[in-house]
Amino acid sequence: MTSPVAHAPPMAATAGKGIPSWARLGVIFGVVSAASIALWAPIGVSGTYPRFIGAILRRVTPEYAAANPYLVKMGSLLKPETFLVIGLLIGGFLASRINREASPKTEMVHAGEKTVSARYRDAFLGGFLIIFGARIAGGCTSGHIISGITQLSVSGLIFAAGVFASGIFTAKMLNAGGR
Amino acid sequence: MDRFYALLVGLAMGALIQRVRASSPEMIARNLRLENLSIIKFMATTIAIGTILVYLLNLVTPMHFDIKPTYVVGVLVGGLVFGVGFGVGGYCPGTCVVGIGEGRRDAIWSIVGGVVGALAFTLTFTTIVAPMNKLMDLGKITLADVLHAPAVAVAVVLGIVFLGIVALLPTEPGAKAKG
Repeated sequence: MTSPVAHAPPMAATAGKGIPSWARLGVIFGVVSAASIALWAPIGVSGTYPRFIGAILRRVTPEYAAANPYLVKMGSLLKPETFLVIGLLIGGFLASRINREASPKTEMVHAGEKTVSARYRDAFLGGFLIIFGARIAGGCTSGHIISGITQLSVSGLIFAAGVFASGIFTAKMLNAGGR
Repeated sequence: MDRFYALLVGLAMGALIQRVRASSPEMIARNLRLENLSIIKFMATTIAIGTILVYLLNLVTPMHFDIKPTYVVGVLVGGLVFGVGFGVGGYCPGTCVVGIGEGRRDAIWSIVGGVVGALAFTLTFTTIVAPMNKLMDLGKITLADVLHAPAVAVAVVLGIVFLGIVALLPTEPGAKAKG
């Protein structure tokens, strides 16, 4: 009953003129990322996580927070980056609501994820590692890969090489044997 | 004013990430398994457009560049750790925030993992990370410094190379083999 068209992936929902949506959105994101550097600073997300920890520790244990060189270096949670993260939350909400999308169902990502709780476990573990890794390197996908390579920084290229080497290996290993 | 710019950039970035489906951990995992390259091509397009624009604009007016230091060992180790987390969880530090905005339950666990990761990092920074990040520290270097070439020329060439790779790579590498 299904026509061959039904096999087209959702991503093939293109912009009418034959330009794939990833290309159109990528061009817009390139303009946004350049505008960010022109107006204020390169985009970056992961530093907000330790600034959040800093804001908590400064209330709970002020002496420790003041003596921790990393928290001192990262500074206040009132830095502009925090507002970028708030923008991400609202932007994601608005984009899904304007298109009247239902809240996405929890997706099983790997062969080993049979239950929703397994997905939550992997999301938690992944979240821990991306922030720990990003803070070792001093940036994440936005700060190192997008902004870094945009600014031609060597660190961005090295970080991207590391991320895709271990990311591709991990994703393939976790899915070995199929679903 | 910087906070306002950051909020606007975040809003646009959040909407773009949602539209391109980069906030879907399943889509990220498919990209890392190299089954679908739409997100990787989206990122490469963003970088290509951004680098050309920002270095052309820089000829007219000074940009707010912020080059991250290239401490080779720390950046590479951080990238490798990040990649494992990216592969396991399917989120990066920004896409999980967008995911919460569009109503993804597992994205909440990714943020919780990230906050715990930031706490673990803050507690271990002085003993483990700071000494490692002193190894092979080349400072804030760019490709233009390495090549002894004008930055705008390097940016234009890099942008064209990225766009060329994006144009040549199939978006669904698996689909061709089936057809």
